Amino acid sequence: MTLRQKGMALAVVAALGCGGPAVAKTPAGKPATCGEYGTSVQFEDTPADAAKQAKKDEKLVMILHVSGHFQNPEFT
Amino acid sequence: MNALASPEVGKYVNDNFCSSFQKVATFKIVGGAKQGGNVATYFCAPDGRVLHAVAGPVDSATFLREAQWVVETTRKAMKESDGDGGKFKAYFRKAHAQKLRDEFGLAVEPVTFDPPDAQDEKDALTYRDPSGQPLAPRLPPPPIDGPDVRLEKAELNLRQTNAAKAAGAAPVLDRAGGRWVLGNQGKVSQILAAHAMVKIEKVYGTVFENVLGEKISTKPVEVDRPFSWMEKDGNRRVSTR
Repeated sequence: MTLRQKGMALAVVAALGCGGPAVAKTPAGKPATCGEYGTSVQFEDTPADAAKQAKKDEKLVMILHVSGHFQNPEFT
Repeated sequence: MNALASPEVGKYVNDNFCSSFQKVATFKIVGGAKQGGNVATYFCAPDGRVLHAVAGPVDSATFLREAQWVVETTRKAMKESDGDGGKFKAYFRKAHAQKLRDEFGLAVEPVTFDPPDAQDEKDALTYRDPSGQPLAPRLPPPPIDGPDVRLEKAELNLRQTNAAKAAGAAPVLDRAGGRWVLGNQGKVSQILAAHAMVKIEKVYGTVFENVLGEKISTKPVEVDRPFSWMEKDGNRRVSTR
C-alpha cells in the first residue's frame, strides 16, 4: 500500500468512523443551527460546516448543487 | 420540492448525512439563447470525495433508493476494506460497475487505479474562470464493453426498456459500436465506475456537462439560500419589488 493510499485509508476511516456512516451521534433536542428551506432536510450553511459536522457525527455528507434560473419547485 | 420535501427522505437523509448546498452557474444554448436550471446531489465522504451522485431532479422513491444504496455500500466497503483506502476506492468503483449491470444490463470495466494527474492547474493552457481558478475537468467515462453476457436476451431487453424510460435517457455506444440506452443515473454509475472517491471539485463538471448536458460557467459558490424563492425557515420569500 502506498503512502497516499494509507493516508486516504486513514482519512476515510477517521471521517466515517468505525461504526459506519449511519450511527448518528447528534444529541436529541439539539437546537437547530441550520435551515430546511421548505424541505424536510436540514442544511448546514456551508459545505465546510456540513463536512465538519459529518466528521463529528460520523455521517456522510450530502451536497446539493443548484444552478441557473432555479424557480421550478419540481427540480428537487 | 418533491423529493427533498418527503418526510421519509428527510428523515433518512438527516439520520445519515450532514447536508449543505452550493450554487453552480450553468447554462444550455437553445436557439442562440442561454437557458439553465438544474440540480445535482453528491453523496460524499466528509473529506469531499464523491461516493455517489443523483443527477437532475428525481422523485422521492428514486432519491431514497440512491441514498440507501450509498449508505449500504459504504458500510460494506468499510467492512471489506478494513481501513485500506485503496481497497475502499476499488470496492466503490466495482459497486458502481455492478449497479450499471444490475439496473441497465451494461458492462464496464471499473478503473481501480488512478494514474498520476497530468493536468497542472498552473498550466498556461488550463482554462480558468474569471476568478483565475481552473474549472472542473470533464472526466472521461470508462467505455461500455457491451451487454452483460450473463443476461438472457429477454432480461437484457427489459432492463434496456426500463433505461429508456429513465430521466435523461439517451443512446450510448459500446466499444464495438453497439447502440444502447442509458438514463442520467446510468451515466452517473458509468462515470463513477472510474472516478468514485475523486474530490467533488473534479467531478461536478462532468456530472453537469456529460450527464445533464449543461455548460459550467463558473465554479460552485456558496450562497445564503439554495432556493431563491424560499427563506431558511421554509416560508416563501416576499418580493420587495
